[in-house]
Amino acid sequence: MSDDSNPLMMLVWILPIILFVFYGQQIQLFVTSREIKKGIKKLDGFRVESRTELINFVKNNLKAKDDPVKKIDRFLEYFTIMPVDMDPNGIVDKVQHIVRSREDYTREHVKLLAPEMSEIELTKVQTLLEIASSLQMIYKIINHMFLTAKKQNNYPLILPLQMILPFVMEQAEAMKDAIPAFKTGQPVGDGIGPMVVGKMMLDSTKETIAFQTSLSKIDFEDRKLFLLKAEGPGSTVGRPSDGLQKIVSENKLDAIIMIDAALKMEGEDSASVAQGFGAAIGGIGTERFQIEAIATSNNIPVFSIVIKQSVKEAITLMTKEIADTAEDVTSQVYDMIRDDTKPGQSVTVIGVGNTAGVPQ
Amino acid sequence: MIFSKTKITTAYTVEQCTKCGTLTKRKFNEGDVLFSELSKCDSCDGLTRIEKIFGETTE
Repeated sequence: MSDDSNPLMMLVWILPIILFVFYGQQIQLFVTSREIKKGIKKLDGFRVESRTELINFVKNNLKAKDDPVKKIDRFLEYFTIMPVDMDPNGIVDKVQHIVRSREDYTREHVKLLAPEMSEIELTKVQTLLEIASSLQMIYKIINHMFLTAKKQNNYPLILPLQMILPFVMEQAEAMKDAIPAFKTGQPVGDGIGPMVVGKMMLDSTKETIAFQTSLSKIDFEDRKLFLLKAEGPGSTVGRPSDGLQKIVSENKLDAIIMIDAALKMEGEDSASVAQGFGAAIGGIGTERFQIEAIATSNNIPVFSIVIKQSVKEAITLMTKEIADTAEDVTSQVYDMIRDDTKPGQSVTVIGVGNTAGVPQ
Repeated sequence: MIFSKTKITTAYTVEQCTKCGTLTKRKFNEGDVLFSELSKCDSCDGLTRIEKIFGETTE
């Protein structure tokens, strides 16, 4: 009897086909689920680690009045409801109001944990809290999507999760790795803009022009420079748009130069520097909107210099390559001022980014 | 994974003498802040200022 007519061999061929036709999706669901479960377990670990780090930081470094654990757990559960965008008119002001209210509220309540804590320590706790609550939210969302797909036994529902998980994991790992730098007050990759402007501000008089935002006025080759950055060395991005608004209300500006870290594309070299036009500033968009509005209404050109880096590099301890670009970026700023303005004109240079570990 | 290596990042501080420009690299100490003036330069009587703080990763 040949193999072709052997009923046992036929069964060996046909059974898997039947199995895959009827149970293919379930098998795929099973295999994919195992990978996603591993990711969720990692996310859970990050969430727990960031919470523990935050609690330990508050307990060990600050003179907390009472046991801070309960309050911290309540902070971690805070949520923000974004305004309705069916009618987008005035949405930026609404978003800004909600975000700033949240920041102010959190700051005041974090301060109550240890009323004697300094402003720098306060910004550190706020940043660690942001990291811990973001990791908590990421874990909750991914876990929810996974459990929903499992509950419905629905393979297509798990596909988008499988696709986004590597990107989410990259972000979450970067956030987890950012904790030591913020705890010790070291500069992060995003701080390259404030680092460049902070160095330009050395040996000049500083004033607080807006909340957590510092200004210096210096002269450079017959031009008046307004140097603006978040007030370091605390962990903050300041409010550069408020600062710019105040400068514009009292002076006639001829150019705005913004220096910021930018996310590099895959294949691009880290710490490469590029020049461009438009407001180089990240975040949820409210600061950028305001800066663009000020520049447009006053007819001021906006130039920008960006230092490219990955998500991880932007929020973890600054790499040597990024730190080494500071001198080159400074000389590019001065070249830009010489090339794009005339003697007697005024320029605002804004160092955008988190100024942790970067004073002025 | 079998082939993945543990990466360790070490923080360094680079000090520069404001007078003679000599650069000194050392390990980061807690409390180091950019642009702060620290100690007397080994080569001259000038003061050193922290120029850079960065991390270097080794596998």
